[in-house]
Amino acid sequence: MRKYPFLLLFLLATFTISAQTVKDSICNYYAIETIPMPQGLLAETGAVDFLPDGRLIACFHKGEVMTYDRSKKEWKLFAEGLHDPLGILVVSNQEVLIMQRPELTRVTDTDNDGRADLYETVTDQFGISGNYHEFAFGPIKDKEGNLYFSLNLASGLGGIFDEVRGTLDTLGRPGRMFSTVPYRGWVMKLDKQGHLIPWASGFRSPNGLGFDLQGNLFVPDNQGDWIGTSPLYHVQKDHFYGHPSSLVWSAGFPDVNPLNVPVVDLDKMRTKAAVLFPQGFMANSPTQPLCDTTKGKFGPFAGQMLIGEMNHPRLIRLMMETVDGQIQGACVPFYDSCGLRMGNNRMAFAPDGSLWIGQNDHDAWTGAEGIQRITWNGKVPMEVYSMNLTKNGFDLTFTHPVDRKTATQLANYQFKRYYYEYHRAYGSDQFDVKPVDVKKIKISRDGKKVSLNLSELKPGYVYEMRLKNLQSTEGKPVLNTLVCYTLNKLRK
Amino acid sequence: MLFLPLLLSWLLNYHSTDFWHQQKVSASLSDVAAGDTTIIITAISGLQFDIVRFAVKPNTNVKIILENGDDMAHNWVLTQPGKRLDVVNAALALGDKGPKLDYVPRTALVLSYVPVLDPDQQKEITFKAPAKEGVYPYACTYPGHGFVMYGAMYVTTKSMPSLKNDPNIPPQRAVEEPAPRTATYSDPRPSPHPYPRELPMLYRTFMPESGPASIVVMLPNEQSYCWDAGACRLRYAWRGYVDNAEHWRGNGKKISKVVGDTYFRDQAGFPLRFGTATQMPQQVKFKGYRIINRYPQFWYSADGVEVRETIKAVPSGNGLVREFQIHEAKSPVFFQTNSQDGMDYSASVGEFRDGVLRLEPGQAHHFIITMKAKKAEKL
Repeated sequence: MRKYPFLLLFLLATFTISAQTVKDSICNYYAIETIPMPQGLLAETGAVDFLPDGRLIACFHKGEVMTYDRSKKEWKLFAEGLHDPLGILVVSNQEVLIMQRPELTRVTDTDNDGRADLYETVTDQFGISGNYHEFAFGPIKDKEGNLYFSLNLASGLGGIFDEVRGTLDTLGRPGRMFSTVPYRGWVMKLDKQGHLIPWASGFRSPNGLGFDLQGNLFVPDNQGDWIGTSPLYHVQKDHFYGHPSSLVWSAGFPDVNPLNVPVVDLDKMRTKAAVLFPQGFMANSPTQPLCDTTKGKFGPFAGQMLIGEMNHPRLIRLMMETVDGQIQGACVPFYDSCGLRMGNNRMAFAPDGSLWIGQNDHDAWTGAEGIQRITWNGKVPMEVYSMNLTKNGFDLTFTHPVDRKTATQLANYQFKRYYYEYHRAYGSDQFDVKPVDVKKIKISRDGKKVSLNLSELKPGYVYEMRLKNLQSTEGKPVLNTLVCYTLNKLRK
Repeated sequence: MLFLPLLLSWLLNYHSTDFWHQQKVSASLSDVAAGDTTIIITAISGLQFDIVRFAVKPNTNVKIILENGDDMAHNWVLTQPGKRLDVVNAALALGDKGPKLDYVPRTALVLSYVPVLDPDQQKEITFKAPAKEGVYPYACTYPGHGFVMYGAMYVTTKSMPSLKNDPNIPPQRAVEEPAPRTATYSDPRPSPHPYPRELPMLYRTFMPESGPASIVVMLPNEQSYCWDAGACRLRYAWRGYVDNAEHWRGNGKKISKVVGDTYFRDQAGFPLRFGTATQMPQQVKFKGYRIINRYPQFWYSADGVEVRETIKAVPSGNGLVREFQIHEAKSPVFFQTNSQDGMDYSASVGEFRDGVLRLEPGQAHHFIITMKAKKAEKL
């Protein structure tokens, strides 16, 4: 050290700076890798999944289904010619289910030469009008082996074909987004016996489906007409989630244009979102929800759900809980920037616990093309691990014990609340925006749980929380300080 | 180095006050003098403005009428030369303040803007074109849009450079797609996939004059056909190929194109009948297809009777060879054609009479129908 006195000085200086204003980032905990894509491929990724042998399987906009062996860096064609495939569910190394515009298809390589040779229609018992916006998403499989998929509404900016598939109902035709053939705007269940059951209605652009660890079904939607800000719904049988057009296909619904049903009545019928993503700064177009089933291989948030986002270079983490019999909860950015691109349309965990993200920038989507892979490096970032509603506020549980000096200051927790209007117009402003005071702070003995008493808790509002200056006892700042909790039900 | 943030914040704060004041004044100009310009710009699907560039003279009044013809919200923001990405990134960085500010960062880099418009809305603004000649970019600064959704206002007294070589507009708008030559019946363009084009080649896509669940197959011998997986039948065939480029590129509103000369269009409806030639099956069901030497063998049922059908091209001229396998028919099988459709029909078993082929159930196990165009004429 005598030889390098300046080094000591340098080290000291570095230490001083880092102790005061540590600039931490998610890159210090996760590594991101961009997968090389085959030449000549328009890599608008429709879906990603993993074969039992560990290879990735992905489908793309021009109908290609390809596999990727990471150890060999080798892409191979598995199937081709599909129409806008937007979902893959792997059955075996030789067999996958693929959701494409016209149908759910079982694609099989029967002669084991690596190329699919059998394309069987699993179900096409839903309508397509020829409108460009009638995408189909899914499928996902529940523990019993039933499949679920979702059907997009048509867009009023496009027409329909002279010939449609399925019954045409002109009552569902008006509106910015419409449902003029069966089950557009529905989540469908295909049971093990092959019966297709219209499961839940009221969707607009339900781009992605996922189960939590308990098997609850979650489906997001996109801000637009009737949707004030993008939601994530807990989807249950026969529930209606808000966009009226799909109601024309609801058994027992009267022969009227659903858009003419008074909003107050529709509002009473609908099931509210479990989580709302405030438009513009949390998410603009949330995509596929995916439960972290890696049992810790992907880091400290095992068992929680992640969701992709198109318009920001971001993945979002969900912290949900059951309150008074209903699932609700909070969203928080998880992986933000740090080499991640936009257009995060699809996700899947590889057997090694890495997260693969298929990106898409097709047409009206802002985004990127290709596939990226995120791996955890074993270190735990300082984050809000969970946010739970209490009778008079929220409990925040952190991944590390909090620094008591900063965590006991009321001003370091800034809350405001607002709601989004349910109406026919496109999107919604925030209404009744009010700051909410934190009255009292209590920190648990282990320093990980901070209990906040708020001056007011009002159901029907989003509680937006911003943390300031909060850090762990080791001086690591909280990485993601914006958390939005959707409060539908009060704790009884 | 240390001054830079300070300097920047001074620039942003000091100039912005000044600038916003100015902007208000210029927006209230109402009398339009000679040399002034009115531009109607529409935000269209595919994250683009329909007009990607226009020219105005320095110091003239410019009226921008922005229409939102897309199905999502957009704004229109004019920036200082070369500052589009800075402004787009600054808009992204607005975070939760974005919606309130119409995603327009309050910086002197922004010269003028139209606030966020919801679909179908329209709004106009008027401002004075800068005195300094240059290329002033405009973009939609709704989060993320401005990376691809932009254009350029040329402030100049001269003419603009050629569209093809204009670096100030989105690249996909700078090139005019070479139209496929129609003189040839096979696609002259390189394969749109990461592998060579190999015929036969199948696509499920939106095809004209067919149902929305259509399958198009390009065959060797420069022939193609459209098979309707909803109605389970051949709809038409042509000498030529299919062009999916616009269907793939846009939002899908533009459908695939038939390139070439259509020589057959079905007019008889679903061709197979069971028991009686006049009774069309009540219900058809598509079950999928098997790929055999790249040819799809379609699999469907008609009133519960399973059918397999493979379609190939005749070795020369315009026509198709259709191979059927029907094993479960309990009564005679009929194949109905329309004698006005310009085709000559022949069968591997049985004979066509008045355009109808009649087969005993056993004969239907395997039969081939060859249909040749009477002459190569355009329908």
